[in-house]
Amino acid sequence: MLKRKRSAEDFAEEIKAHLALEADDLQHEGLSKDEAQWKARQQFGNVRAAQERFYMRGRWVGLNKLGRDLRFGLRSLRQSPGFAVTAILTLALGVGANTAVFSVMNAVLLRSLPVSDPSRLVYLRTSNPPRGTGTIDTNKTFSYPVYDALRKHSGGVSPLIAFVPLSGGKVAVRYGSQPEEAEGDMVSGDFFSGLGVNLPLGRGFSEQDETNHAPIAVISYNYWTRRFARNPDILGQTLFVNGVPTTIVGITAEGFEGVEGGSSTDFWIPLQNRPELNAWGNPPDEGKTYINDPTWWCLQLIARLAPDVTRAQASAQLQPVFQRAAYVGLGGTPMEGEKPPVLSFVDAKSFPGSDQMYGNPLRILMAMVGLVLLIAMANVVMLLMARNATRQREFSLRLALGAGRGELFRQLLVESAILVTAGGALAWAFAEMAARLLGRWAQIETSLAPDKTVLLFTLGILVLAALVFGLAPLRVALSGGAELVLKTSAATSNTDAGKSRGGRLIVALQMALCVVLLVGAGLLIRTLQNLENSPLGIRVDGLVVFGVKPNIPSVPEGIAFYRNLIGKLRVLPGVDSATIMESRLGSGWSDNSDMMVDGRLPEVANGTSRTVRSNVAGPDFFRTLGVPVLAGRDFADSDTASSPHAGIINELFAQRFLPHRNPLGHTIGTDDGRYTMTIVGVVKNHKYRSISEEPIPMAWCMYAQIPVIGEMQVEMRVYGEPMAILPVARKVVQQLDPNLPLIQPMTQRAQYDTTISGQTLFARLAGFFGVLAVVLVATGLYGSLAYRVSVRTAEIGVRMAVGARREQVVWMILKDSLLLTVVGVALGIPLALLVGRALATSLYGVKPLDAMSYLIAVAGVAAVALAASALPAGRAASIDPMKALRTE
Amino acid sequence: MTTQENNDDRIALLQGTLDLLILKTLIPGPRHGQGVARTIQRQSEDVFLVDHGSLYVALQRLEDKGWIGAKWGVSENNRKARFYSLTPKGRAQLVEKTGEWRRLTRAIGLILDSNDGTQGQEA
Repeated sequence: MLKRKRSAEDFAEEIKAHLALEADDLQHEGLSKDEAQWKARQQFGNVRAAQERFYMRGRWVGLNKLGRDLRFGLRSLRQSPGFAVTAILTLALGVGANTAVFSVMNAVLLRSLPVSDPSRLVYLRTSNPPRGTGTIDTNKTFSYPVYDALRKHSGGVSPLIAFVPLSGGKVAVRYGSQPEEAEGDMVSGDFFSGLGVNLPLGRGFSEQDETNHAPIAVISYNYWTRRFARNPDILGQTLFVNGVPTTIVGITAEGFEGVEGGSSTDFWIPLQNRPELNAWGNPPDEGKTYINDPTWWCLQLIARLAPDVTRAQASAQLQPVFQRAAYVGLGGTPMEGEKPPVLSFVDAKSFPGSDQMYGNPLRILMAMVGLVLLIAMANVVMLLMARNATRQREFSLRLALGAGRGELFRQLLVESAILVTAGGALAWAFAEMAARLLGRWAQIETSLAPDKTVLLFTLGILVLAALVFGLAPLRVALSGGAELVLKTSAATSNTDAGKSRGGRLIVALQMALCVVLLVGAGLLIRTLQNLENSPLGIRVDGLVVFGVKPNIPSVPEGIAFYRNLIGKLRVLPGVDSATIMESRLGSGWSDNSDMMVDGRLPEVANGTSRTVRSNVAGPDFFRTLGVPVLAGRDFADSDTASSPHAGIINELFAQRFLPHRNPLGHTIGTDDGRYTMTIVGVVKNHKYRSISEEPIPMAWCMYAQIPVIGEMQVEMRVYGEPMAILPVARKVVQQLDPNLPLIQPMTQRAQYDTTISGQTLFARLAGFFGVLAVVLVATGLYGSLAYRVSVRTAEIGVRMAVGARREQVVWMILKDSLLLTVVGVALGIPLALLVGRALATSLYGVKPLDAMSYLIAVAGVAAVALAASALPAGRAASIDPMKALRTE
Repeated sequence: MTTQENNDDRIALLQGTLDLLILKTLIPGPRHGQGVARTIQRQSEDVFLVDHGSLYVALQRLEDKGWIGAKWGVSENNRKARFYSLTPKGRAQLVEKTGEWRRLTRAIGLILDSNDGTQGQEA
């Protein structure tokens, strides 16, 4: 049925045959030949009409009309390329920005875990860990004994899955000869089967693998692609993890990147019990790894609810088991006055952690790009209205010639569809690029590739845009009616259109939105400036840092390794000094605990925290960092395992816990009293974990004197470009152990900057969207004013002919846009106040009511308004009255 | 001069009827368009003046629907003509449409023949 069955010629042929037959019959009835032919024709009626109706019949007509409308639309757009390009670009920027931000939001906040039936998955949470335990996160992590007990209690949930990273950052791996780094997790045997993750190549793990601590690995699709170029022969090959050989047995399906938002796991191995593969890359604590240490709560747990069991039922069933297991190895029962921990479940459908991290900024950005889109659409609507108003005579003419209103509407819709399609295609390309950039800036490792949800979102916006753009100009187009064509003068026929109140309202609203965006951008950019300029208390230039994780059979051997390494590094040419530390500065990590001062927990004023951050440091630590030692001394090579334990504190520690005393010589130590040291130095407060933190009491101990030793961060002060030392440093490290990569090498400045990467990104984007809004508003205002001046050419000519001066004409145009600016600012400021309040938590060193940001925003909008009106006003003033009148 | 729109109105009114009449005239055997027109006119005792243009459009519509088939052939007086014939589907339609038409005319007849309605209104 798809081809037209019968040609119009054939139909014409049939009519001809009919006329002949009819004439024959009539002749038969006694008419003359001529009479018969005439009568046959007359009886038939309108032959053309019949042929036309034949042609119009059926579905092909619609398609034909559409083709005609498309051709017509393209032709009429080609006649005004400036308009078409502006409209398409504006739309592409507006929609593209929205798609980009939305695809990030979708990937990070909305997308669910790529597993089967994610709605039945829950993360386990505890109200608090029992006293005497160390945790990674007080609510999210559990000990191995707890995991083991919960798993053995069948019922409520099935299965219960544990996972834990092999390192806080990346792990040393080796495939072939070159050591490198990757992100890896240790997981339960039923990790893949329990989550329902597909493994198109190879196999996952079994419970047997977990029990045997099998040396096997599954790698992610991304890692497979990135590192192994999707070579299927990789199965069966050996991947060394921290020097331990594992066999690659499987590759996950595309899209599965682990169960934590914002990061992507490269490989998984079953839970291990070897000291080299301890959880979080920690050194064994007195010979114990996570598996036999009930005081170290470091595993994250995820569970699938059993069918027909509610979350409440399942947690009620597990509660007693959990509360018993929590105290295994801790004396069996809670201490006096201790609240026992309470188990609860949270939704694991989407990544819970990422909402905390990216939720607020992303939602605010989404709102910002939404405003940008509004401004952009308003711009296009105004452009269309202006363009179609000048076409009013064309429309009137076509109405007069018999075109239906439906036809006009269809044609406007087709024109807007062409614009929207072109703009949409451009927007999609733009968004794909922007989303990738966004991900890189925000250090989001999850794949941000737009998926079906994003596509639907974008298509939704585009359809809406196409309808609005088609409908908005229709009113103008039809308002003229057919009789308008009778008005002969271009000037008179357009006077009504120039005064459209709707257009002015839109411009004022755009200005209001622009004020809002500029205030938001201003606040965020000032936040960024404050962060970037806030003193670190460290001479950060010239510092480079990298991690080293050697295989350490015993503590003395570990100490010897690092002493050796520091000795070799500090004599390299171009190196001023070299030292080591356990927690890397500016990485966001810190070791927090209470500390004894002179044998007891210090008294603190009500409401003050007793928490101390501690770190392990090497010789020349503060000299290398450039942190001034206020009293006493720095750590030195002479602090060894056999010399008295040396400790160094910061100013705040001294002020808070040893007020009005000379802190030197006092004894401080761990809260269990096992390790003590004598304060030998006090250093100036400096930024430790991140740029935006407030100072906190700190204490450092000497690496050579403590009973554990594991991965260390090497810090070097060099002359010249810090990163240039890395190849030489790598050679030194690999002379000591060829298995060791430099883990996450970077300048110390870059390391600190990662702690404000979120704010940086946020501020840059906000600034970008602010500028985009200004540009859009400027083009919109310029366009509508220029158009208004052009339709008033004749009127202005008359005014000037009867004696209006140039200044008066300029003022007439400027007054108009100044009025719009005032209205826009008056509307925008209350809105901006709301936005400022929403932003409050994201600001640093700026108040939401920052007068400067408001002033700049208002001044910016006013300047844009003036600049955009200056040109049309100038043009109006230079109108030659005689010419203007003569054009008619 | 009649406008196109008015023409359309008339067809819409006649459409169902004309289709029915065309199908009926094709029962004895294949006929060309002019023959169909003549037959309808003659059998209705010249009450219906068949608009020939509309007839051909209607024939085309029925052909598109698959109710009738068409084939070029030669008429009795040796002229080339397009001959239409009923398809089985068309035959079924004819039965159905005829039934519908009978019910409709009977209902209308019942209303027109009764003489209470109008008087009640007047009083």
